[in-house]
Amino acid sequence: MSSKPRETANVGAGLWKATGMWAWLLFRISGVLLAIYLFAHIIVISTGHFNEFNRLMKAFDNPVAVVADLALVVAVLYHALNGVRIILMDFGIGIQRHKIMFWSAMAVVVICFVLFAYVAFSYIVTGKGVF
Amino acid sequence: MKARTVSTHRGGMFSWLFQRITAILLIVCLAIHLSLTHLANIGKVDSANVAARLAHHGLTAVDIILLAAGLFHALNGLRMVLMDYWFSSRTRALVLTGVLWVVGLAFLGYGIWALWPWIG
Repeated sequence: MSSKPRETANVGAGLWKATGMWAWLLFRISGVLLAIYLFAHIIVISTGHFNEFNRLMKAFDNPVAVVADLALVVAVLYHALNGVRIILMDFGIGIQRHKIMFWSAMAVVVICFVLFAYVAFSYIVTGKGVF
Repeated sequence: MKARTVSTHRGGMFSWLFQRITAILLIVCLAIHLSLTHLANIGKVDSANVAARLAHHGLTAVDIILLAAGLFHALNGLRMVLMDYWFSSRTRALVLTGVLWVVGLAFLGYGIWALWPWIG
């Protein structure tokens, strides 16, 4: 830490050092992608109103779509866990330890992703779910 | 310094607070939503599968919360991003906010209309 006051160094400059800058940028990118996805999702699922639902849902059982869904899961998990970190920091939790907070959140992302990936690849290989 | 950097945003207190309230609602409801669709029912999602789930009022509530909280969180988030760029002046920001509310309410109405046959 520099000679700056502790609080300013951590919050003002600290957040803008490498890790925080990437965390912020990826948060924005994943957020914008998820917002676009939300509107696409509402439109696709609303076909339930027009009896087109089953035909469309079949397309999402295709292995390419299952892998694409996993990419979506990564975006959701990253955005959610980084968001939890931000809310905790709003309460003053982890401000002095923001790198540890960030990497702990990323560990939770990886653990959740492994579960989703295991189920998805099991489905691609065996054609059946795990649960 | 700390208070200004972390706790507020020029988007306003309402926007800041509701972004966090909807975030927590989304984490809880999305965990339920993704567990049911991507883990428990992978490859099995069709009309009958969805209908069986939406027969439970609790899961209908989860879907409506996802729709409303998701729309608010997504559009308010986009608003924050856009206000960092071309929509930084007060007038443009107000127009943007108005347009996003219209889009959000329209999609909320459309989403509930689309859900209606499932709820029955």
